[in-house]
Amino acid sequence: MTTADCDAIVIGSGPGGAVAADVLTAAGWSVIVLEKGRNHLVSLDPPYEPLRHLSNDEIAMVRRHLLGPDPRLEPRTYRRHADDGDRLLTGEVNNLPSTVGGGGYHADAKLPRFREEDFALRTTRGPIDGADVRDWPLTYADLEPHYAEVERIIGVAGETGTNPFAAWRSSGFPMPPGPDMPMALVTTAAAARHGLHPYRAPTGANSVEYDGRPACVDCGFCGRYGCPVAAKGDPIASLQRMLRTGRGQVRPEALVTEIVLDAAGRRATGVRYLDLAHHPDPPVIELRAGRAVIVAGGAFETARLLLRNGLGGDLVGRHLTYHFQTFTVGIFPDDTGGDRGRDVTHLHDDLMIDTPELLGAAREAGLPWLRGGVTEHGSAAGPVDEALMYPGGPRHAAAMADSSLRRRMWVLTVQGEDLAQPANRVDLDPSVRDAWGLPAGRVTYRPHRHELAASAYAAAVHEAVLVDAGAQAAFSATSPPQHDIDLHASINPIGIAPASRHVMGTARMGTDPATSVVSPEQRLWDVDNVLICDSSVFVTSAGYNPTLTLAALSHRAATLLTG
Amino acid sequence: MTGARAAEPSEQGAVFDGPARAVIAAALDAQVPGSVALGAVDYVERLLTALDHDPPRLWAAPEGSGQAWLEVGVWERAAWAQRIAEMHAAYDRVAAGEPTEADVRLVHEHACEATFGDPAYGGNRDGAGWRQIGFPDPLFPPAR
Repeated sequence: MTTADCDAIVIGSGPGGAVAADVLTAAGWSVIVLEKGRNHLVSLDPPYEPLRHLSNDEIAMVRRHLLGPDPRLEPRTYRRHADDGDRLLTGEVNNLPSTVGGGGYHADAKLPRFREEDFALRTTRGPIDGADVRDWPLTYADLEPHYAEVERIIGVAGETGTNPFAAWRSSGFPMPPGPDMPMALVTTAAAARHGLHPYRAPTGANSVEYDGRPACVDCGFCGRYGCPVAAKGDPIASLQRMLRTGRGQVRPEALVTEIVLDAAGRRATGVRYLDLAHHPDPPVIELRAGRAVIVAGGAFETARLLLRNGLGGDLVGRHLTYHFQTFTVGIFPDDTGGDRGRDVTHLHDDLMIDTPELLGAAREAGLPWLRGGVTEHGSAAGPVDEALMYPGGPRHAAAMADSSLRRRMWVLTVQGEDLAQPANRVDLDPSVRDAWGLPAGRVTYRPHRHELAASAYAAAVHEAVLVDAGAQAAFSATSPPQHDIDLHASINPIGIAPASRHVMGTARMGTDPATSVVSPEQRLWDVDNVLICDSSVFVTSAGYNPTLTLAALSHRAATLLTG
Repeated sequence: MTGARAAEPSEQGAVFDGPARAVIAAALDAQVPGSVALGAVDYVERLLTALDHDPPRLWAAPEGSGQAWLEVGVWERAAWAQRIAEMHAAYDRVAAGEPTEADVRLVHEHACEATFGDPAYGGNRDGAGWRQIGFPDPLFPPAR
């Protein structure tokens, strides 16, 4: 009999994996976290201080893939529908960072909870033709203690009492909100005049010193940038807690290729991974886990790993959801001040609420109901990003000076609920391979007409809000765009694939193995010591930023695992 | 402390000879007028020679971190070697007056990066590109 290298192997060091590793090590388990990307986040030696790799450098962070994945190494492919052939594009498809800390890096750390209704959409709203609307196998009440705990671990700044639609809470936020972005006060006032109910966004960036990390300095480089001062608690806080127990370790550049099963094929005994510190022939390392393997690669990479290993059944990869994003852009006569701040400081939830207006829009669309999504008031664009949006030529300098798409811009972004459809999926591309010869993941995705109707409704509401706030012009765009591929392929700055990094649903949880991939405890039905601890398990996409919920689910699953 | 980072000493002429350099400079300036005066050709040459250094000069390290450039992983180096070889070929076509549409897009990207990106990479000299557009210097290290 061989000796295990640890109690649990965690595949992926993002918010889901980090939280699971934290819970397991706190319970006395030994844990090895395998991360395919490199480490720019935290020293892996005591006292586990932040590494000094991160800065407000648009070239390194945005243009040159510092946080990975490099699409040359890890290409993904995309098509709207099987009729498109094998693929429409190869390259970047909503790539979340591939690095220690994973997807926690990408965001400006908006961390709202879901509401009670989000876990029971089938019961509360009912079915919609062409979509697979189901209830979750747990309730908000089941998850609430774990929401509270991960808010405390990450450090979420927010306030209670200002969002009339918020779910109940057992405790307040660990910190008060940080400073408002001034323009948000203008657009939230306009939103209120239109009957909406904005509130300060729950944000995982310290408003005060917290857990040994400093307060956010509102440097203006938040989404897509790791935090240079470690004011964002996700994902560093959980990893530090895990490392400090002495029972956890992180191995970067470890690409898991195989989940190893016992002879009966019913239990995982460990994994094999490629040690990517070596080139061009990375050695295969086998690692044995005594108790469990936690898969937390994110809803894209987790599905890809399960598919390569033939685990999880026929539903793996299906029911892929994003958030169908609607960007309503206001161009204002003066600077909006988006250069500083946490990109987004205010939200409103109104488009998630059944109102006579929204129900009317649903009826017009021939649908029983509509749900938009949480709406973010914000603005952020680096100057290189802006420059790339203007055509080259003699008018480029004037366009930059005028700066309608950065300095004078303010955006209301809807993270629109995306209904699950079986045909929307991640699978393995038939011929594109990554640098290590593994099949690339392929996305097949097009929105349901629900998303399009909700988006059109939101666009009209938000264009009116921005004009009321003083915008000279307001227009709306969606991601993914719904127009001709050829037209948009080269000129659309957000591309033809979904730009949302909110990737969910590819290993749904449920109570019936015939309609789900994992149990309510997030265990694979066919190999029950393999747990999925990321947004793959989402049953619906809700319309709220997913990170806090996936972290809370991971916290719950790991807590149940350790008893 | 705020302020634009300075690039390391120029290695002007490290890649392009005189005639090619003039054609490439014109192409960069055609995309973003004024980019060459801010160091766009230098930016491109530094990128094309980034792997000649150890660590590669691809990712500038934050000021105060005790290092100038971040390490690049062995697989990332391989990807960049391939990418840079393709860029070389693209600029050869630009210099020969036969750029493809993709080459023109690449020149546009580099002109934008060189004019408005961090000065550590050889463009945006002294942060002049940022000042032209009223962009506040990024805070290094960030502080209120």
